[in-house]
Amino acid sequence: MIDIAPPAFIFILGAILLPLLRERRLRQVFQLLIPLIAFIDLLYMPKGTYWVYNFLGYDLILGRVDKLSMCFGYVFVIVAFVGMVYALHVREVGQHTAAFLYIGSALGVTFAGDIFTLYVFWEIMAVSSVFLIWYQRDKAALDAGFRYIMVHIFGGCALLAGIIIHVSNTGSTNFGFIEYGGLASQLILLGFIINAAVPPFHAWLSDAYPEATVTGSVFLTAFTTKSAVYVLLRTFPGVEILVWLGAIMAVYGVAYAVLENDIRRLLAYHIISQVGYMVAGVGLGTEMSMNGSTAHAFCHILYKALLFMGAGAVIYVTGRRKLTDLQGRNLYKKMPITLSLYMIGGFSISAVPLFNGFISKTMVIAASAELERPVIYLLLHLASIGTFLHTGLKLPYGIWFGRVPEGEKVEEEEIEAKEPPLNMLIAMGMASFLCILTGVYPEILYNLLPYPVHFHPYTLNHVVGMTQLLLLTGAAFWLYIDKLGGEPKISVDTDWFYRKPGVLLLWFVSNPMQDLRLRLQSFFTRMVTNVASLSKNPILLPEITVRYFHLKIMNRLYQASGTYKDKADELKGLESRIAAAKEMRYDENVYRRPIGLGVLIAIIFLLVYGLIYFIRLR
Amino acid sequence: MARKLTYIFFISIGVSILVGLFIPHEHVHFWWEKIPAFDAIFGFLGCIVIVLGAKALGHHGIQKDEDYYD
Repeated sequence: MIDIAPPAFIFILGAILLPLLRERRLRQVFQLLIPLIAFIDLLYMPKGTYWVYNFLGYDLILGRVDKLSMCFGYVFVIVAFVGMVYALHVREVGQHTAAFLYIGSALGVTFAGDIFTLYVFWEIMAVSSVFLIWYQRDKAALDAGFRYIMVHIFGGCALLAGIIIHVSNTGSTNFGFIEYGGLASQLILLGFIINAAVPPFHAWLSDAYPEATVTGSVFLTAFTTKSAVYVLLRTFPGVEILVWLGAIMAVYGVAYAVLENDIRRLLAYHIISQVGYMVAGVGLGTEMSMNGSTAHAFCHILYKALLFMGAGAVIYVTGRRKLTDLQGRNLYKKMPITLSLYMIGGFSISAVPLFNGFISKTMVIAASAELERPVIYLLLHLASIGTFLHTGLKLPYGIWFGRVPEGEKVEEEEIEAKEPPLNMLIAMGMASFLCILTGVYPEILYNLLPYPVHFHPYTLNHVVGMTQLLLLTGAAFWLYIDKLGGEPKISVDTDWFYRKPGVLLLWFVSNPMQDLRLRLQSFFTRMVTNVASLSKNPILLPEITVRYFHLKIMNRLYQASGTYKDKADELKGLESRIAAAKEMRYDENVYRRPIGLGVLIAIIFLLVYGLIYFIRLR
Repeated sequence: MARKLTYIFFISIGVSILVGLFIPHEHVHFWWEKIPAFDAIFGFLGCIVIVLGAKALGHHGIQKDEDYYD
């Protein structure tokens, strides 16, 4: 039953139609209708491969539907709906258009059955998402957006190069398992892990996401990194390097989150950390770990959107985004609902039992235990601690409660704060509901996973172990509570490499290289002018040449003999004759010759060509 | 109120550790799973390691003033 269209097209069509709707209410209805239509479309999509179009001898497949792609498809459409509710009050149509294009292309990636389709949607995803950053309309956002798009273009180029080599080597455009090893697979993997924000290629994420608009960043958290996890699951299951990259990445994000002062940047570092679990799960390559990665991507999209919505609501009502500007202002009295909903997200990401992080994160960790990988197991466990420490304890404490460090004065006037608009609260409520629902009834999610699930999250061992881990993390947090306040600093990350030496490169390009360009340009312009003036009358070319050399030789001779001054008039005369000859235009009646000029030039060319041919032949 | 919460907090730590001592381990994959209350110890020490480690790194080079890139 192939009724409607590929889900990607529903969103892209929505993006095209949206700006045409002038009435605001109508537009809001339309914004919510599109994800609903797409959801119904998903419900009626049978498993299989369809929407195949032949293009230049290759099959473009827009619908490869199996359990894996359906699982990502569902959560993408759900978060699209939640995000649209959250963004309902935004009047700028452009933001919604960009969001629709972005969601549509992410769904295009999810259901792509060949790597060309994948690549096209991959690039649309990068280009459309950058507008969610640029709509913030300040300099920081503009700059961060440029860096974001440059990194993604680099990743896209690596992917395209890999795809071309892969296709010419194997002749297959099938988007599926790729044997790791060799240049083609390495380039494709590089393209993928740049989007998955794997260190050292992760800095674009923590750089750009906090600069995006409050509503745009909710969409950003969901699609780019998770579609990268999806393509990794498809192509590179069981690649050993991903295990280590993932485990390191999980701890790396947590370590940077300790130092962070900007609330959304802190959460962005936790995206990196959480995606680390998924990447490690891909690398472990067992059915359980791949299930774990898929489930964790599903849960992560929900709770991370919730967390960004909570932090975004605080930024929306207070206009402040730094812990140092927020702590000690007792905001919990003014926005208790936002705080409660945020905490549901905080508990979910920290894998507190009965919240959805618990049922997915433990699956990846259990998979590492089953394979007897002690170091990976401990690294992932350590990252869990850091996650609870920051998203569950430090950030809510700093935003809503908090103490001002001793010796610092709080400004006298209070922050104007209240609960955010109703649509924002409803969106957060929906995300919270889904986080708890999947946490309490994991079977809903487990039934969607690509492989049969033989994992039970709610055993006494798991629950008690996780409770101990979290409670004692809380105890340690208590000990260091004064050390963990925000510091008015920024942390240098790997984006340093293109932000600092980048300035040098800019200087090099705009000074020496620009100078070289101007010199070359003026040289060629002069050449062209000379050739153009000579071509007015090519017949006179020999004559002008002779006179030119005559003038030069006389000039030298007079100079050598010292009679230069006396003969100045004569030289002037010679010069003016050359100038006159240059000015003379070709006139057929003056130069009557046995053959026309065109024919003469053609014969000369033939002669030269013949000579070269003759010489080469010998 | 705050005092009450503190009591509840410490009591729940005690209870979770006590319960942990008496439940049998189903699949033991690593030697440390036999250590009593390992998760609690790991959570406490791990948290301290993360905080102190990251702060040390931050204060020795990673953290810069906010106008560093301007």
